[in-house]
Amino acid sequence: MEDANFIIRFLNWLMSFDRKVLILAASAIGAGLAMIAGIGPGIGQGYAAGKGAEAVGMNPKAGKQATMVMLLGAAVAETSGILALVVALILLFGNPIITQEGAVLVLAASAIGAGISMITGVGPGIGQGYAAGKGAEAAARRPQYQSNIIRAMLLGQAVAQSTGIYALIIALVLMFANPLIKLM
Amino acid sequence: MEGFGPKIILELPGGILITETVVNTWIIMVLLSIFSIIATRRLEKVPRGLQNVIELLVDGINKLTIQTMGEDKKSFAPYIGTLLLFIACANLAGLFGLRPPTADINTTLGLALMTFCLIHGNGMRRKGVLTYLKGFTQPIPVMLPLNIISEIATPISLSFRLFGNITGGLIMMSLFYSALAAFSTKLGINIPVLQAAIPSVFHLYFDLFAGILQSFIFSMLTMVFVSGAMD
Repeated sequence: MEDANFIIRFLNWLMSFDRKVLILAASAIGAGLAMIAGIGPGIGQGYAAGKGAEAVGMNPKAGKQATMVMLLGAAVAETSGILALVVALILLFGNPIITQEGAVLVLAASAIGAGISMITGVGPGIGQGYAAGKGAEAAARRPQYQSNIIRAMLLGQAVAQSTGIYALIIALVLMFANPLIKLM
Repeated sequence: MEGFGPKIILELPGGILITETVVNTWIIMVLLSIFSIIATRRLEKVPRGLQNVIELLVDGINKLTIQTMGEDKKSFAPYIGTLLLFIACANLAGLFGLRPPTADINTTLGLALMTFCLIHGNGMRRKGVLTYLKGFTQPIPVMLPLNIISEIATPISLSFRLFGNITGGLIMMSLFYSALAAFSTKLGINIPVLQAAIPSVFHLYFDLFAGILQSFIFSMLTMVFVSGAMD
């Protein structure tokens, strides 16, 4: 009973604030949470850079080809970080939630939820970076097949992006077309 | 979406909205049509000038289609080429100050639905309707709902991949421009000096790199899915 009391006291305490203040505070938390997605591209690109260095060391003659594959792959691995940045920037500079009608707790939670959903970007970031590293390694081994390697790598990276894209859909729905408000 | 959505230019009777997306799509359609007419007007046996470039492009698209889909599906090359050219032009429209039509979910979902129809239409035509539908119950019939969900997820992820990347770039660029404008007013300069050269690096990544890459990925995935349903 003690816990339930605490939650109710907490919610009552939250409701004692102004509507706008609550939504803005939640947006700040959401923007911060969204940027956790940066872990993914960080690890992924680091792995790609390591593999790229290894590839250049293995076959210095094909260094240019391997570096190019690594850079292309790393640039694609950046995508989830950029999508998270977009959600965070929308929450900070173009906040659409503040003008919406409806219960303030739902709106504030939606702002936090939009941020949390972007954490998914960790997965695609690591996965795409791994693909970029393997691509660089393959390009050093067989530089004459560089265009085929790039094509296969980009295709696989695009599919690996899917879950990150789904997260972006949920974040955008929560911010711009919140279906939960209509349920009340 | 307020704020970042396409502007409505006029409203036709019956509630049909003519947005920036529609107008820019028309502009791209007209430009591509004029380009094709001019490029193929005087074709010669020994190519000269522009014809060299066009032959290189057509040859490249033919080769890409054959490599990805196989020799027997060469007839898809014109569609894939059109798709590639349209999406590339649409993504690059941001460089010329137009709002990219692909930054609107209606455009990308339309393109993805075309791919969806191609996948299942050609799958049924090649294998026969019953055999094709039976393929959904493989490897075990319990998989049927999962298979259907994954088929529906295909156009959704295709369209949102393109939409998310291009819209993300658009929002980043517009925020960046407004930040530069605010910075230059704070410095007391009325002439937009800061907006002149600094954004070009970001345009290079968000418009040129991401735009070309996403148009390539969209056409490649279309080819892979269609040939996968046919084999």
